[in-house]
Amino acid sequence: MDTHQILLSGITVFPIIGVIILLIWRNAAKKQAALIGIVSESIALVFTLMLLKPLNTGQAIQFSLPWIAEINISFSLELNWLAFVFLLTEILVTLAAMIYSLGEKTGEKSSNFYYALLLLFSLGMSGTTLSNDVFLFYVFWELMLLASVLLILIWGHGEERSQVSLKYFIITHIGSLIVLICLITLYVNLGTANISELILGASTLPPKTQSLLTIFFIIGFCVKMAIFPLHIWLPDAHTVAPMPVTIILAAAMLSMGTYGILRFPIALFSLEILEHFSIWMMIAGLVSEIYGALMSLAEKDIKRIIAYSSVSQMGYILFGLGSLTQQGMVGSIMHVVYHAIVKALLFMVVGIIIAATNERDIERLGGLGRKLPVTTVCVAIGVLGISGMPPLGIFNSEWMIFSGGFETSQPIILTILTLLGSIFTVIYALRFFGKIFLGKFTLHDGEVHQPKLLVYTTAAVTALLVIEGLLPSSLISWATEGLSAILVGGPL
Amino acid sequence: MTGAINVILPFFTLFIGAFGIIVIGRLLKFDNRITAGLTATLLLVSLIQLIWIMGDSNIDILSFGAAGPGGVTFQPDVIGTFVSATILVIAILITIYSGGSISSEPTYLLYYPLILLSLSGLFGMFFTNDLFNLFLLSELSNLTASALIAFQSRAEGSVSAGYKYLIMSSLGTMIILLGVYFIYKGTGSTDLSVISTLVNNSTRIGAGCFLVGFSIKAGVVPLHTWVPDVYSNSPSAISGLLAGVISKSVLFIVSITCTKLGMESSELGLFLIAFGCLNMLLGSIKALTQKHIRRFLSYSSITHTGYLMFTLGIGHYYQLDSAFSTSIFLFVIAGIAKCLAFLTAGIYEHDRQVSEANDPGNPPKTVKYAPYLLSFALVGLAGIPPLAGFTGKWLVFSSAISTGDVISMIGLVIFLVSSVIGLGGYLPMIVRLFKERDQPDDTNQLITNSSLWMTIPVYMFCVLYIIVSFHPTPWLQIIIGIIK
Repeated sequence: MDTHQILLSGITVFPIIGVIILLIWRNAAKKQAALIGIVSESIALVFTLMLLKPLNTGQAIQFSLPWIAEINISFSLELNWLAFVFLLTEILVTLAAMIYSLGEKTGEKSSNFYYALLLLFSLGMSGTTLSNDVFLFYVFWELMLLASVLLILIWGHGEERSQVSLKYFIITHIGSLIVLICLITLYVNLGTANISELILGASTLPPKTQSLLTIFFIIGFCVKMAIFPLHIWLPDAHTVAPMPVTIILAAAMLSMGTYGILRFPIALFSLEILEHFSIWMMIAGLVSEIYGALMSLAEKDIKRIIAYSSVSQMGYILFGLGSLTQQGMVGSIMHVVYHAIVKALLFMVVGIIIAATNERDIERLGGLGRKLPVTTVCVAIGVLGISGMPPLGIFNSEWMIFSGGFETSQPIILTILTLLGSIFTVIYALRFFGKIFLGKFTLHDGEVHQPKLLVYTTAAVTALLVIEGLLPSSLISWATEGLSAILVGGPL
Repeated sequence: MTGAINVILPFFTLFIGAFGIIVIGRLLKFDNRITAGLTATLLLVSLIQLIWIMGDSNIDILSFGAAGPGGVTFQPDVIGTFVSATILVIAILITIYSGGSISSEPTYLLYYPLILLSLSGLFGMFFTNDLFNLFLLSELSNLTASALIAFQSRAEGSVSAGYKYLIMSSLGTMIILLGVYFIYKGTGSTDLSVISTLVNNSTRIGAGCFLVGFSIKAGVVPLHTWVPDVYSNSPSAISGLLAGVISKSVLFIVSITCTKLGMESSELGLFLIAFGCLNMLLGSIKALTQKHIRRFLSYSSITHTGYLMFTLGIGHYYQLDSAFSTSIFLFVIAGIAKCLAFLTAGIYEHDRQVSEANDPGNPPKTVKYAPYLLSFALVGLAGIPPLAGFTGKWLVFSSAISTGDVISMIGLVIFLVSSVIGLGGYLPMIVRLFKERDQPDDTNQLITNSSLWMTIPVYMFCVLYIIVSFHPTPWLQIIIGIIK
């Protein structure tokens, strides 16, 4: 086993070590538990960054251990450029959420379990991204779900958290089962669970099987992406979950659906097969984009406004993937990263508002701009970011998604409608900012207190958003490399 | 007497041991724990003898008396031997657990012999090659199991559960007897090796009777009505043994016997697939509304019987070896998880000394980890990765998909629906395990410490399940080897 393989396995091993320490250290105070969580996650981040150099040489890094040899299943990991982009995003988001947690009340009881579950949630996402075996992929995929359900169930807000977590679990599990059926069909028909081997052999499947698998893969992963009408779990789950969990759900976990679509149907099947579904993906993306934006406009609960915004943003991503053009797909991958940063930022701001005012109704909020100056600057940048204003990142990704839309052979009206639909995004973003931060201060209590740590974390994420927007070349290059890494013999 | 004596040793160790324990126990005035220890030792000896048979490459036969009614022929097959060995491992842990759980019962000296007799009846059913013996051994197993179910006669519902099981299983045995009659009339023999060469309409009718009779014992829908009452009112150790392994092992007996009786594989397979689907659906739907933990586990058990039937059915219908090995793997993992769940539920009961202490929101005071152990078992039974339940689900899906046929696909869809519905039951149950109570517990209630005799087997089941979950290779190797 060489150094790169040790580092690659370490990305999954160190969070596990963190979990074990936290489970043993039952009396750990919140700060102590957070320290273990943050250190474990930081090590995973450092290992990921250390693998950047070998990745630059052009070769994917692989690690494999036999697991259930009788049925050809192994603990097989692979880091390629596509996985790198998603992995880095989810680790950074989890780290930000863990630090943010320290500034608010979530996890003060049973802190060790709380941080252990955050680590497991992150491990689920890292493992899903790195898996090169379909069995392992599904194990991590479900771990991600299970950890998030428990986090909502135990630390969620309100009496309805049991029902919400049950709804979230069952709906997303149905999506997962659809994915599982597809994975097992591939495994049974091609006689291997190794994803790299599946990619090489998938074209030998009968076209009808390829088409059916494509449909089911897309439906299954769209549940996770919360694409309309499969989004019904999202608004409640995002609203009830504690803020750090909401941040991870919205900023990182939703993108796992995107990763799934890229890793399986797009990587596995030929352009001829995928083209049949291109228009449907684009239409679903368009409908989701407009529906999410309209629902954001109609909502009064500030957390739900941002939650519905995710449905809308995932619509852009699906639209880009559906275009089946290099521009569109690279744009979608970049949108995943930018959306993660903006969404983390906006939810962090929502957390600060709730912590400062104890109010979630947008109609009862107003004039916070003068009371929370730093937060106002951050949210202003976030709002501009999600509206797609240059030079912030989403402008770049939306530009590429729309370019992809215009390049595709599908009716151009879809791209025009998507472009026009983005106006709704601007409207809900400005409504969010204007109603809460501008105008007269409406709350009776004169003083608003904002926890400093929350503000610092939010400011750091805002800085990242600006930097990513101004220096997009690395991300464009990683996303392009990522796409070509999975498209060996694929559609383009 | 002709043949190898080793064939009958596991059966006789249990059968003779049962009477030995009664006599020696009374003479030497053994207490509950010594009796439990002695019984566990006998079970261990029987297990070693079974492993000896499994290691022998030749399948030996032992006969004494004339062929047909009146004579006895034992011919163990490799699947029956493995299933019996699995039952014995679980029975050893159950017996140790009983050393703590039934300590307040004055008639404990009868309890352990009843376990031994019940198991000897079951093993005899696996090993016998004679239909009349099969009927007698089935009766032995039924009567002793009924007595075990009603053993804690002071507990509410216990005696009626015992009666219910006795009536239903006797009905099953009567139908089996009818089957023996048809076969004997049609072939003039009760020896399975002879009958398999003389297949005719009578043997087919007889096989049908066996199918229905054993379906009652296995709790196949719509003949499952005894299951919820029996599993929720018998001693928790016995519920674990019945739900975890005994009732499911009957499916292997029916599978082996009906095949030997010349039943078409496609007919048997279709029956198992169709009724397996009914079990999956009914079990998961009924489990949704259960709040009483043992009743919930009972319906979950009906669902798992359905999974097992579905997989066995695929094996028969499509002649698929992988489906047969999957069914044995499912039997092993469901047995361990179910026993873990029932025994932990028993700790809840024992801790509060009331039979209705099954309210999962009322956790035991003396075993802090009980809610974790129970939820671990439930997660396993729900088939959530990375636990063995998921590996089982993966194997079932693989077997069904590999057939590529519409019947198995319909079954697979029902499996998926049942699996999703089932989650709607498992998750709220797990939530209830950790839900904090608004009002303090009734402090007047008697709290009893669950002794190490109870907790150690529970932890051992937990460890076993972890091992099967994370290192299933050796188990799969053995099972695949058996099927090959």
